[in-house]
Amino acid sequence: MSPRPAKKRTVARQDLGNRIAHWLIALSTFALIFSGFGQMPMYARYGVTDLPGMAWSGDFGITLIVHYAASIGLITGIAFHIVYALRLRRFDILPRRGDVKESVQIIGAMLGRGEEPPSHKYLAEQRLAYAFIGANLLLVTATGVVKVVKNLPGVLLPGPVLFWTTMLHNVAAMLLVLGVLAHLAAFLVKANRPLLPAMFTGRVREEYARKRHPLWFDAEDGPRLELLPQPTERRRRPRPDGTQRKTAG
Amino acid sequence: MESISRRAFLGRGVLAGTVAATAAIAKPAKAFAAPATGQTKATFIDLTKCAGCGACVTACRTKNTNRYPDPVDDIPVNWPTDGFEDWQEQRDDTDKLTPYNWIYVEQLEVDGVSVNIPRRCMHCDNPPCANLCPFGVQEKTAEGAVVIDHSGCMGGAKCRDVCAWGIPQRQAGVGLYLNVLPGIMGGGVMYKCDMCADRLAAGGVPACVEACPSGAVTFGDQEEMRALARARTEEIGGHLYGDAENGGTSTFYVSPVAFDRIDTALSRKRIALSKKNRTGVPHMKPNVGNRLDTANDMALGMALGPVVGVAAAAIAAAKIVKGDDAE
Repeated sequence: MSPRPAKKRTVARQDLGNRIAHWLIALSTFALIFSGFGQMPMYARYGVTDLPGMAWSGDFGITLIVHYAASIGLITGIAFHIVYALRLRRFDILPRRGDVKESVQIIGAMLGRGEEPPSHKYLAEQRLAYAFIGANLLLVTATGVVKVVKNLPGVLLPGPVLFWTTMLHNVAAMLLVLGVLAHLAAFLVKANRPLLPAMFTGRVREEYARKRHPLWFDAEDGPRLELLPQPTERRRRPRPDGTQRKTAG
Repeated sequence: MESISRRAFLGRGVLAGTVAATAAIAKPAKAFAAPATGQTKATFIDLTKCAGCGACVTACRTKNTNRYPDPVDDIPVNWPTDGFEDWQEQRDDTDKLTPYNWIYVEQLEVDGVSVNIPRRCMHCDNPPCANLCPFGVQEKTAEGAVVIDHSGCMGGAKCRDVCAWGIPQRQAGVGLYLNVLPGIMGGGVMYKCDMCADRLAAGGVPACVEACPSGAVTFGDQEEMRALARARTEEIGGHLYGDAENGGTSTFYVSPVAFDRIDTALSRKRIALSKKNRTGVPHMKPNVGNRLDTANDMALGMALGPVVGVAAAAIAAAKIVKGDDAE
């Protein structure tokens, strides 16, 4: 069997735990955004309920239940993500000093101005996006929990607490929508698209990782390790003893 | 070994916490609703004594006349609908709830018996209207009054939709939405009885209670009113409404006629009304449920979410760490 051509070789980037957490949080967030807008009295007014199969969206009882159910997914995903990252000491997605400046450089390079600086596992703008989306998710979750407790029989909150909790929940949700849109819009840029498979198969092209994320690729525990000669011939499927996972994440 | 026993310990702690949370959530609403301070107020309305004179309506209108909506001349149409809710021309109507009339007396003939029923906000123990207001501008005060902040209301009318009785009523052309995106977002301000919260705060009683000449309305601590209403129900072999409905309210009606019969009569009356006039004529279905019940049952799942997430992450991470150490 001939070795895989270098261009098609891939390296592990996101392990299963990260992918599960990402999609649990992402899908829950989509459901929360949709049902949350449903809790604003807008679907009946703006005709969403007239769309085929969407009559239920105007029922506050139903969208409330969807909102609660999705929030269970979100809270589970967030709890998983935080503990998983802490336990494995993976902090490479947290913002670093100089990230704003570096993000400007990266965006400049995308527009054809200057060279893109070498990146770690995550681009500076990815680290900033993570912090922005993460902070708003935490805020929307914290205020959401207060709102859930407030809905329980026998719990009365003073008017100002009620008002500011609701206001913060709404504002954080709106910022979150902007964050998610920006996150999705990043893939309109061709240079970012090689990152997409990382959240599906967990792997990215070796060539891409080598060129754009050299500080990660060449790091002591970077994916270059994966490419060192192995005792047996490398196969696409991860080996059952899980040794490949060591370099993932 | 140490990490396993620590995990097991953590697990037991979380389980104990979850069980306690379950027990707390699973308790009947009544236990929560009971006022710890004795400050929660309620009204006991004895329908055997209400003569339907309307003194309560007059008193309410006099007291609140300065708070009634004063809309702009050119009310914006609510895009993309082709209308808005305007009750200005019916501001003198006293036979239903409108933004200009927060209490009315329902007069019915039920099985040959005349019943007069003062209708207004029930001031629920766990009000969906206040809990689900998307802008957090409705609250239940310590006295139990459910109050809308007219200055912050956008008039989306969600409170009317989630109210078990559809009590709050909307007037267009007034309020905050005119300063935000009139015609695009919001639709006016919601109005309803606020139990005369200002009078309560000053140690007084609601205007309607004070005005009742026949002694049909009694006002006081919620538990006292509940006890009075239950005793009266037993005394006359009658029927009680507002005690269990919507998870409990601060309004107890005692009637000589069964409330399902009253509701049937009300339904007949509503059918004969125009669509517009059907709002503000609340039903009297016995044991009507609270819109928050199902959601509240799910709150336990939310308590379990972090437990599952933390446990799964700890196990998954431990496997990876173990794999690394094994090498």
